[in-house]
Amino acid sequence: MKIKGLNKRAQEEMVGFAMIIIIVAVIMLILLGIALNKPKTNALQSYEVESFVSASLQHTTGCSTDTGRSYNDVANLITECDFEQVCTDGRTACDVLSSELGDILEGSWRPGQDSPIKGYVFNITADDNNILSLSKGNETSNYKAGLQPLQKKGTAYNIEFRVYY
Amino acid sequence: MVNQKGQFKIQQMAFMLIAVIVFFALVGIFVLAFRLSSIKETANLLEEQNAMLLVSKLSNSPEFSCENSFGGTRVNCVDFDKVIVLKQDISRYRNFWGVSNIEIRKAVGSGEEVLCSLSNYPNCNTLRLLENSSQGYDYSNFIALCWKENNEGNIGNKCEVAKLIIRYKEKI
Repeated sequence: MKIKGLNKRAQEEMVGFAMIIIIVAVIMLILLGIALNKPKTNALQSYEVESFVSASLQHTTGCSTDTGRSYNDVANLITECDFEQVCTDGRTACDVLSSELGDILEGSWRPGQDSPIKGYVFNITADDNNILSLSKGNETSNYKAGLQPLQKKGTAYNIEFRVYY
Repeated sequence: MVNQKGQFKIQQMAFMLIAVIVFFALVGIFVLAFRLSSIKETANLLEEQNAMLLVSKLSNSPEFSCENSFGGTRVNCVDFDKVIVLKQDISRYRNFWGVSNIEIRKAVGSGEEVLCSLSNYPNCNTLRLLENSSQGYDYSNFIALCWKENNEGNIGNKCEVAKLIIRYKEKI
């Protein structure tokens, strides 16, 4: 009788202990799973935005202002646009600048709801006067910016590019 | 009767010991896995930082940079003429930069991928310098990709915005 009672108590203890072990093991497995499956973040790096501004200023455009001998890069075309120059093919420097910068931005950054990039703003100013402004998508509170000053023909230009993510 | 009680106590102790061992074994496995994952994470983090620095400095390295070939000193400028020649002898550089893939992709143009070779250069949009089918993480940076162009007898400079993409192997 006594043995029977002891046996039952021991069985209950063992079941209780086994349950604790199982619960602890399950919790540990869940924690392990979370620790090993941390999502890789692919945040936008500020050096990408800065290097984009630097690279886009070196882009050769289709606008020549010396009868086709050479073609202006974006940095020169900003000045030509500021001085309202016309390219050899009849287009205005500002039209070419806007069109080619638009193509570069379109090819390099694709903002959208499903994309990590939500929008961008590209501004060119000369002594606080706006020369060109291109934007697409939404402006959020998170952004990386690249700012490049440019000194040409006695005018200080500022090129500012913001990418919202 | 006493013998049976003793046997039962021994059995209870044995179960208890097994349960304690199993418990500590699970704790040990968890600690070990956590430590190993943090070592792996540190290794990947160092590799990532290295890759980020590499992608920025690669465009200014002697094998890639424009130097003074396109008028003045240019930053983040890659000489396309130089790189297409480098591609012909890339086997000698296989382990030089410590990355598995190096690719240059023009930003502007049609979406269709046209791989660069000596026969279609420079009318192409993707140049694969180093190619491996390994898994890893890509890092990229914007560059100005420049080359010399013959425009009705005038040799001029032509630059386009491109992306320099490198991939490093993920540590297992």
